Amino acid sequence: MDRQQYIEYILDHHDNPRNKGRLDPADIQLGGGNPGCGDLITMYLRFDENDRITDIRYEGEGCTISQAGGSIIAELAEGLTAAEVAELGTHTMNEEMGAEVVKSRVRCATLALGTLQAAAKLYMTNKERVAQGLPPVDVPSGQFAVEV
Amino acid sequence: MAERDTTQDNRGYAHPEMLVSTQWVADHLDDPKVRLVESDEDVLLYEVGHIPGAVKVDWHTDLQDEVDRDFIDKAAFEQLMSRVGISNDTTVVFYGDRNNWYATYALWLFRYYGHEDTRVMDGGRAKWQEEGRGWTREVPQHPTTTYTAKDADPTIRAFREDVQALIDAGDPALVDVRSPQEYTGELLHAVGYPQEGAQRAGHIRGARNIPWGKAANADGTFRPVEELRDLYIGEGITPDKDVIAYCRIGERSSHTWFVLKYLLGYDNVRNYDGSWTEWGSLVRSPIARGPNPE
Repeated sequence: MDRQQYIEYILDHHDNPRNKGRLDPADIQLGGGNPGCGDLITMYLRFDENDRITDIRYEGEGCTISQAGGSIIAELAEGLTAAEVAELGTHTMNEEMGAEVVKSRVRCATLALGTLQAAAKLYMTNKERVAQGLPPVDVPSGQFAVEV
Repeated sequence: MAERDTTQDNRGYAHPEMLVSTQWVADHLDDPKVRLVESDEDVLLYEVGHIPGAVKVDWHTDLQDEVDRDFIDKAAFEQLMSRVGISNDTTVVFYGDRNNWYATYALWLFRYYGHEDTRVMDGGRAKWQEEGRGWTREVPQHPTTTYTAKDADPTIRAFREDVQALIDAGDPALVDVRSPQEYTGELLHAVGYPQEGAQRAGHIRGARNIPWGKAANADGTFRPVEELRDLYIGEGITPDKDVIAYCRIGERSSHTWFVLKYLLGYDNVRNYDGSWTEWGSLVRSPIARGPNPE
């Protein structure tokens, strides 16, 4: 895709967000973002017994790129396992949004992905802890953009 | 040159001709003497929707040199003007998101290269949106122009040597427009933003902290002139002084520069675009931490 096609794709997600909303109950929910600049994403996930995402929703507000990124990730991650989610990275967003757009606002572009990855990791950590008879840990909202 | 927005005249500002209302813009959408320029922090906001006829000037990709840490040079500025259909006598009206941060930043650079008729749409995108006025995604194709820029105007841009000279002269009229947390050194950037950009936290020794937002109303418009006078004079930033404003990279301080220069009419006020990302990384630059200037 050329730059214009990427932008039209991003605007389509901005205008017609996929999987936007919340899951109640969710197996895991996690908030991420930069409240000072107004970019917020909360991810809600449900997994099956094989650690595969069966349901995903997101809520958020902020700039065009961060919110379109939420929609893109919420669509892309459905059906992936936690291990597969961990394999995603900035390259994923480059493929989805175009490297030029991602480069211009890398933290906005990777906020949803980073939040998803943190949520999936937390889910696996807690699953392991519960299996060992330990209480699950809670993680506060944080800045989960993917560092490059 | 388009007619002035005379509704600004009763606000008491020193240069009311530098402001236009959203209504004035709505009334001049088809005025060939006017070019609307949108400059935003949100890099795709223009694509989401803009005022009909407006062109996009991206503060990062259009106004910055790709290699040197500097703005585009005079020749590149002329090419930019030609591309977006601005002639030397065009009335350029800036607007954008975030209380016109980047609108005033772009305006400042246009003035730097000598564009005469520059104005700000008071309230920016938020006010236009709030009033239910329309957006479009149609990107206008304005005829290219031949544009001749002037030599850069050194009287509105400060470099680190200028800041140091002000400090050396004593009682510097330095305005740090960042948040109190950035000023005191608690944070390197505004709350929530990535904490990056400088090696040290704090403020330029001697600077007064007057956050840019104190000059804006809740709806993004500029505050009344009496309140602005009290705000700056109350902190010792008086019109007789040589004033330099700064923030992190010079965008928030463009807002304050605009207020001091055109709304209050200060003769000598410069924007230090190197700002904290430069000063906070300079070896042996005088820095202070805490709530006091020194």
